[in-house]
Amino acid sequence: MPDKRNALVNTALLGLLMLATIISLATGTVQVSLFDTLRALAGNADPMTDFVINELRLSRVVAGLLSGAALAMAGCLMQTLARNRLATPGIIGIDNAATAFAVASVVGVGLSLAPSAMALAGAAAATAIAFGLAGANGTRGYRFIVAGIGIGAIAGAVTQVMLSRVAIDAANAAYPWTVGSLNARSGQSVLVLGIGLAAGYLVLMSLSRALNTLQFTDAVAIALGTRLKATRMIGLGLSVMLTGLAVSVCGPVGLIALLAPELARALCRPGKVPLTAAALAGASFMLIADLLGRTLFAPLEIPVGIITAIVGSPYLLWILLRPSPRSLT
Amino acid sequence: MLNALSPTSVVASRAFFPPLLAAGFLLLLVVLASLLYGAGPVSASDAFAALMANGTEEAWFVVTELRLPRTTIALVTGLALGLAGALLQSMTRNPLAEPGLLGVSAGSGFAVALAILLGATTTTLTTLVAQLGALTGCALVIAATRVQGLGNDPVRLVLAGATLTGLLLALTSMLMLMDQRAADEIRFWITGSVAGKPLSMLWATLPSITLALVLIAIVARPLAAMALGEKAAVGLGHHPGRIRFLITFTVALLVGSATALAGPLIFVGLVVPFIARAFSGPDIRKTLWLCVPVGPAVVLGADVVSRLIAAPAEMPLGVVTALIGAPVLLAIVRAGRMPSL
Repeated sequence: MPDKRNALVNTALLGLLMLATIISLATGTVQVSLFDTLRALAGNADPMTDFVINELRLSRVVAGLLSGAALAMAGCLMQTLARNRLATPGIIGIDNAATAFAVASVVGVGLSLAPSAMALAGAAAATAIAFGLAGANGTRGYRFIVAGIGIGAIAGAVTQVMLSRVAIDAANAAYPWTVGSLNARSGQSVLVLGIGLAAGYLVLMSLSRALNTLQFTDAVAIALGTRLKATRMIGLGLSVMLTGLAVSVCGPVGLIALLAPELARALCRPGKVPLTAAALAGASFMLIADLLGRTLFAPLEIPVGIITAIVGSPYLLWILLRPSPRSLT
Repeated sequence: MLNALSPTSVVASRAFFPPLLAAGFLLLLVVLASLLYGAGPVSASDAFAALMANGTEEAWFVVTELRLPRTTIALVTGLALGLAGALLQSMTRNPLAEPGLLGVSAGSGFAVALAILLGATTTTLTTLVAQLGALTGCALVIAATRVQGLGNDPVRLVLAGATLTGLLLALTSMLMLMDQRAADEIRFWITGSVAGKPLSMLWATLPSITLALVLIAIVARPLAAMALGEKAAVGLGHHPGRIRFLITFTVALLVGSATALAGPLIFVGLVVPFIARAFSGPDIRKTLWLCVPVGPAVVLGADVVSRLIAAPAEMPLGVVTALIGAPVLLAIVRAGRMPSL
């Protein structure tokens, strides 16, 4: 069903994303004009510009774009399932657990699986534990979230243990993962993320009607013909997969999963789960944050995870501390 | 006995001195273990011989110059954090209100990082800065609990604290990126450890810890009255506003001192009062007394574990306390009902 307002919002966000992409590509140690950037992307620039844009910067920008979109979609999905806008993968410890497993893979502890596979395993393990501890309440209620905070703390501690036990070179190689940075990406992980994101998006679009009904009470959703349990399981599985894959590329970049869906919900027509808008906004946020991190204190580069934490935390605090608890859920 | 005067209170009749004695005995054992066991090559029997004054020169040096200061610092840190946690939880009536979880320790750590970046080196200055940071963090927490609806919602408060901690950690990481020299010093602080700290740090924090203990002696009784509700406390002749101010100040002194000594140690202020309350019941005065042996025992025990678990290397103490504390956090939340204070 075409929807004018949502289509407009998506177009605007797509425009923002394209702008952010091109500025990201153009900005760096070697400044390229926006026009030359476009020409290089089209494949008819001088070899020097072509090399800078297509060889050096493009892979980073693509990694940021995909991971931002995946984190935002995962966040939007989990918020919908939990009916709680605070239930994002970062807050409930999935990020940290995925990071711990990815670091384990990098420093060579345990199985020698690729970081993507390990991050997936970590994300799945954290979710399973959080669920087990939340007990009968499921993802609803705050117990789930506090369980997540505890799991996140344990995973963070385990990451530190591993970093302190290995040789300094391996620890330095794994460090970007612990704060969230686009420097640590491997081409293979980005490829896996791209495939996973595309597949996940297709599945979610086919489920969009069922997801929209999840915003009502269980009884209403069932009456509208939604297979509640199956939808929840698929949604949760996809959310975990997207988070794990994104973390294997960029590390635990916090709060994109919270901010991007917030923006999307504010812009889009209420009543629908704005997955597409959230993904576009998340990708833009990631690129803009990375751009800020690269340029603010150049030549010093600030990891993108630190930028998102500094920008996003005050907003989250404002949500939490503002004196109207009803609007939280 | 006091108990005879309060026939309605069933919990208060719980035996109080046996647990206190047991905790004290346990503390002695941990102190002994801390002196005897370490990651270095000096074996337990050598160390014991050194304690009995007929050991080798090397063992004597290791025990008195390395392990003894470390043990003392761990004891003081544990005392400060345990008491601070108990006070904060009692005042906010929130079993999850822990200085580390609520961002007080992170505030303190950030202040220290900033001071190091700006060139501070003297130990006294660092202690003062850590306390100022803790005071700011405490003030934020108190302000947050006064927000309508948040005071009765422990989990939201903890979530806000976790967010604040994340923000402060990110800012600290930024500071570390700015300056390599400062980064090395700051990294030494923020992992949380009692190893290799000079005893002069201890002397620098001792006045504030003494002051905090005196303040606790003053506020313990009014605080117990406040547990009955603010109106009851006013009726008994106390001033809740004044008490709250004193407690905030005391917690800041304690957490600031502990952070100056050992870096931000998360979860200690949660675990210690949790154990103490299990034996003392709801009376904050008994809880505080039990925290006196339990706090040092927990931190020192964690430190001994951190030395042995990865020998000959050492694990950061903060990691061990997180591994102990996170399950306790889960246990508190998992309990059928959220225990209210």
